[in-house]
Amino acid sequence: MRNYLDDQPIDLAGSTPRRPLLMALMLCGLALVLFFADSLGFLTPVRGPLEWVFRPVAQQLTSWRNGVSSFTTTVTSLPHIRAENEDLKRRISQLEDELIAREQARAENTRLRQQLGIEEEHPWRLLGAEVAIRFPDAGRRVILIARGHKAGIEPGMAVIAQTDSGPTALVGIVEEVGSYMASVLLITDFGSKVSSRVLHEGETALGIVQGQWQRGSRLRLEQIERSVTPHVGDTVVSAGLTSELQLPLALASVPGGIPIGTVEAVRSDGYALVAELQPFIDSERVNYVWVILGQKN
Amino acid sequence: MGHTRAKKLEEYLVRESLLILSMIALALVQMSLLPTPLGSPPTLLLVLVVCRVLLGIGSGTIFADSGLEGAARWAFYGGLTLDIGSATPLGSHALALLGAVIVVAVGTSRLRVDGPLLPLISVLIGALVYEVLLAILVYNQFTTLNEWHMYAMSVILPSVLLTLIPALPLFFLLRWLFRVQ
Repeated sequence: MRNYLDDQPIDLAGSTPRRPLLMALMLCGLALVLFFADSLGFLTPVRGPLEWVFRPVAQQLTSWRNGVSSFTTTVTSLPHIRAENEDLKRRISQLEDELIAREQARAENTRLRQQLGIEEEHPWRLLGAEVAIRFPDAGRRVILIARGHKAGIEPGMAVIAQTDSGPTALVGIVEEVGSYMASVLLITDFGSKVSSRVLHEGETALGIVQGQWQRGSRLRLEQIERSVTPHVGDTVVSAGLTSELQLPLALASVPGGIPIGTVEAVRSDGYALVAELQPFIDSERVNYVWVILGQKN
Repeated sequence: MGHTRAKKLEEYLVRESLLILSMIALALVQMSLLPTPLGSPPTLLLVLVVCRVLLGIGSGTIFADSGLEGAARWAFYGGLTLDIGSATPLGSHALALLGAVIVVAVGTSRLRVDGPLLPLISVLIGALVYEVLLAILVYNQFTTLNEWHMYAMSVILPSVLLTLIPALPLFFLLRWLFRVQ
């Protein structure tokens, strides 16, 4: 056996010395006795207190080890964590984009379904458009829609909208058209006049619906034919007279039968009857409209 | 004369107490502080007792005994501490360590090997003896050869390899410490 302390090989020239070997064997015997005694449960009363002293120390040391290990892991994997963080950020951004696109598709789907429903009920060819801008001043009731001449929109075309509770109804008339934008004069504007028809118990009477926003009201039905006296709750729809006559006028494209509103009040204005109307659509809340491009064949 | 004997006894008791405390501390280090790369820590105490066998030293130092004698005491105290900490039957780790110590001591008693090969082979043999004895004493539920084979491949082999990693550094560290003393 080599003596490593003196760095000199030593030759024991014999077997292991007896005394240390005997001592080792004695310790083995003692350990064996302890082993069997503990296995048979004789040492349980001793082990309990020993473990009670030992465990907290071991637990504390283990928690230190875990802390150091966790710190080391964090430090060594910092580049990886950074890369992963960047990757996750990119992924989140991508998912947000996808989410927005999905929401947009969902909204578009809803609008297309609405359009399909309208087109099934009415013989109109429709073009959907987002309301891009509302005129900021109260002087005019105009909205700008994100479709223009390129999409086939012409001045005089009727613009309709739909709410959850009401019918598809007239919102305004296309006034001016650009390549990609068009302004729509709302029917509530004082400058808006639409030939209309009031429906009362199977009879109709013609009149003109004029906007009253600038006068502190909304819509008024004027110049009503005397053949029928309108009553509160009667429905007023567009008459489509100019459309039928195919005149080269701005209103020539407004078809008849588009709901406008209901009669709220009727009063006499000299020789004529005048009816205050409640429009079906609150133009303030309209975000999406359809332009009636024409009639289906 | 009697005074000298009493003093010697006192010195022995102090030395033994220090040794016991050291072994408790080392066992705690093995159980609690060492990393567990393969699910268990390297068997620090085994490496130390095997190195202790190889580093038998003469009188005049704090570890004044032969390699085997000192290593056996280290193994006994350290093994009992491991048993208390790991809830195994008292004496099982001590027996496994003592078995490894005796086998290494007997096996290397006639060898004249220079260089780091002897410590490595000694730790390898000691680890095998230790693991097998522990398997017999503590985990003695294997009845078929196949079960033993599976246990050897999945537990003993990784543990032995893990034990070999600190073998040489610890051996040279211990040798340096003993020389300093």
